[in-house]
Amino acid sequence: MTGQPRRRRVTAARLRTRSGVQLAVRRIRLTLGIYGLLVVIVVGQLVHIQVLNADEYADRGVRQRARTIDLPSTRGRIYDRDGDVLATSIQAATIYGDPRAFRPSETPDGTPLPAGADAVAVAQELAPLLGRDPDDIVQRLTRDAHFVYLARQLDHEVGVAIRDLNLPGIGVLTEPHRVYPAGGLAGQVVGFTGIDGEGLQGLESQYDSVLRGGPGMLVLERAPGGLDIASGIRELVPPEPGTDLVLTLDREIQHAAERAAIDAMDEYNARGASILVMDVATSEVLGMASAPTYDPNERNDADRANWRNRAVTDVFEPGSTQKALTVAAAIEEGIVSPDTELAVPDHLRVGGKRFTDAYPHATEQWSVADIMERSSNIGTITIAQELGGEVLESYLREFGYGRTSGLNFPGEGPGLLMPHDSWWSTSLPTIAIGQGVAVTLMQLASAYATIANAGVAIQPRIVRGTVGDDGRLTPTSAPAQRQVVSAGTAEQVQTMLERAVSGDHGTGARAAVSGYRVAGKTGTARKPNVDTRGYSSEYVATFVGFAPADDPRLVVAVMLDEPRPFYGGVVAAPVFSEVMQAALIARRIPPESAGRSLSEALEDAATVAADAES
Amino acid sequence: MSAATAPLKRARPSQERGRDRHLQVVDEPPKRHTLVYLLAIVMVVAGTVFGAVALNALAAGSSVDARRLDAYVLEAERAYAQLVADVAALEDPARIRAAAFDLGLVPAGPGRHVALERNLPADGATTTVEVLDGTADPLKPVLSVER
Repeated sequence: MTGQPRRRRVTAARLRTRSGVQLAVRRIRLTLGIYGLLVVIVVGQLVHIQVLNADEYADRGVRQRARTIDLPSTRGRIYDRDGDVLATSIQAATIYGDPRAFRPSETPDGTPLPAGADAVAVAQELAPLLGRDPDDIVQRLTRDAHFVYLARQLDHEVGVAIRDLNLPGIGVLTEPHRVYPAGGLAGQVVGFTGIDGEGLQGLESQYDSVLRGGPGMLVLERAPGGLDIASGIRELVPPEPGTDLVLTLDREIQHAAERAAIDAMDEYNARGASILVMDVATSEVLGMASAPTYDPNERNDADRANWRNRAVTDVFEPGSTQKALTVAAAIEEGIVSPDTELAVPDHLRVGGKRFTDAYPHATEQWSVADIMERSSNIGTITIAQELGGEVLESYLREFGYGRTSGLNFPGEGPGLLMPHDSWWSTSLPTIAIGQGVAVTLMQLASAYATIANAGVAIQPRIVRGTVGDDGRLTPTSAPAQRQVVSAGTAEQVQTMLERAVSGDHGTGARAAVSGYRVAGKTGTARKPNVDTRGYSSEYVATFVGFAPADDPRLVVAVMLDEPRPFYGGVVAAPVFSEVMQAALIARRIPPESAGRSLSEALEDAATVAADAES
Repeated sequence: MSAATAPLKRARPSQERGRDRHLQVVDEPPKRHTLVYLLAIVMVVAGTVFGAVALNALAAGSSVDARRLDAYVLEAERAYAQLVADVAALEDPARIRAAAFDLGLVPAGPGRHVALERNLPADGATTTVEVLDGTADPLKPVLSVER
């Protein structure tokens, strides 16, 4: 009895011991399994982070602690041909606000926080510095936004003063500001940029990609509080500065042309005026003025119509200045020579329309040179009829009519020259004397430059080259050239044009320049109606010429829109004389007349001094 | 033969067997200079930390210097750009013209030029020009052959 229960107890104890061991083993295995699973998960995650997606997580880490600052590039300067600055960039201050600092907020757990600053008090301090109404500043500071501009492109000193105030919620940024130090000088040519530095008008727009450069970047490492870590990573990608642009403009000539254009507008009550000065040998534009003008620094205060460069955007009928081209074509074709005499009545009927000369006269035997000197419409029409419409059109196109000049200036017009097979019966006589055809002042000046340059047309240009980081001038590619008429023909036309200025019957006597021989042609053309066919009672007065006549160096073209009086020889020729004289002096071109001796000059100087004293 | 190849089985003396069962006197283990060792480790660690901090401080100082120089260069560039603009504005022909008028100047007349009465050596003159005695040449320093 007693032995059996004891054996049972031993067996039970053994069984309990065995099951306890097994349980422990199972538990250990389970625990190991869990640990193993955790290890697998951790290792898997490690592989996922460190191997499979290492780059992504590295980038995330950098983004969390790195601060990237965009560095704006410095826009290239624009110089005149002698290196005088026409457009440059300075550093300006931009003031911004963080409206979050001016409104109550609450913590993540819902605890309300008062506003960090009083918008009204801040606005009162800022208003006199910004030149803005305090209410306007308050209105901006209380917007539902994280960032608002309060003022942009202020003087650097204003930014420093505001930074020194250390106002809460107010910050100061530095950004480039485009300025035009010479004010309105060449304003229509240079153009202007927008507030973000993008070219909007003129050469600033045309050469925007060259001037703009490339932005840079600065990457800094920052602590959780937002402070930069001084010894942290610092990667600098410097901005690529814009390329400087060197123009062909001569600042002195440009100023003289602009002043003359403004004075002429005022003196003759003209609606507008354009003046263009070109170098004959290179077709480089030395001056290109339009009036009324504007100051790119104050462009928002100016009439937008004054932004355009009228010398290349506006077209007009060239009038009698066209006659030189008609005669040049006839001489080149061997139809006439300067000495060829023609019977010239004072009127002619063509295609049912009556054409007349400017003044009545009996039928005269005039040479072609006489016709040019007297600017005879009938004589020129007679020559053109011999020439024919097709040939005249082809020569005019060779002279550059009906297409842009190659400057590619924004808004440049191609003019208007209908194909000869679309001409009316009256088109040939009207086009021969410069009506029924429209050109820009650039086209007209370029055509006269061709005559002055021995019949060789050179594509005009206004950019000499670019200056890169190395400071060297990289010239623009050589302009295209074409022979329009022979050198002999050009020389004969030059001689006739000189008579138009210096001859007894010349219409351009007021274009003369003391000490120089001048050649040129007046033009007076009625303006076509805008709304209906036919012509209005308004006129365009022009004068185009070159000097010195025996060795042409400069071409000057003048156009006055609706002047009073309206004759080109009366209003445009004096302007030509003034501008040509200034240009000849600026380009150091000596007079053709014999110079005075030194003793004569000193005597004259002594006389002038004595007169001044008395 | 078997006696020759049989392994020698030497009976262990009972005294030795008895000695194995008792504690044995051993030599004192060599002295470990624990304190020195710890100090050395602490110094190495401290030196490392100090060196790292010092180098980091130096790097931070250099970085601050670099930033100060950057700021100086930026300010100098800003001032230079402003001066360029200011000079260009002062050279504006319209401003100069207005200032000249204010000073009482008047526009110059037509362009004139002067013909020299004798050639200068630089112009290829090969003969000596006789200068009259007593003739005062107001431009002598500039234009005379003795220049």
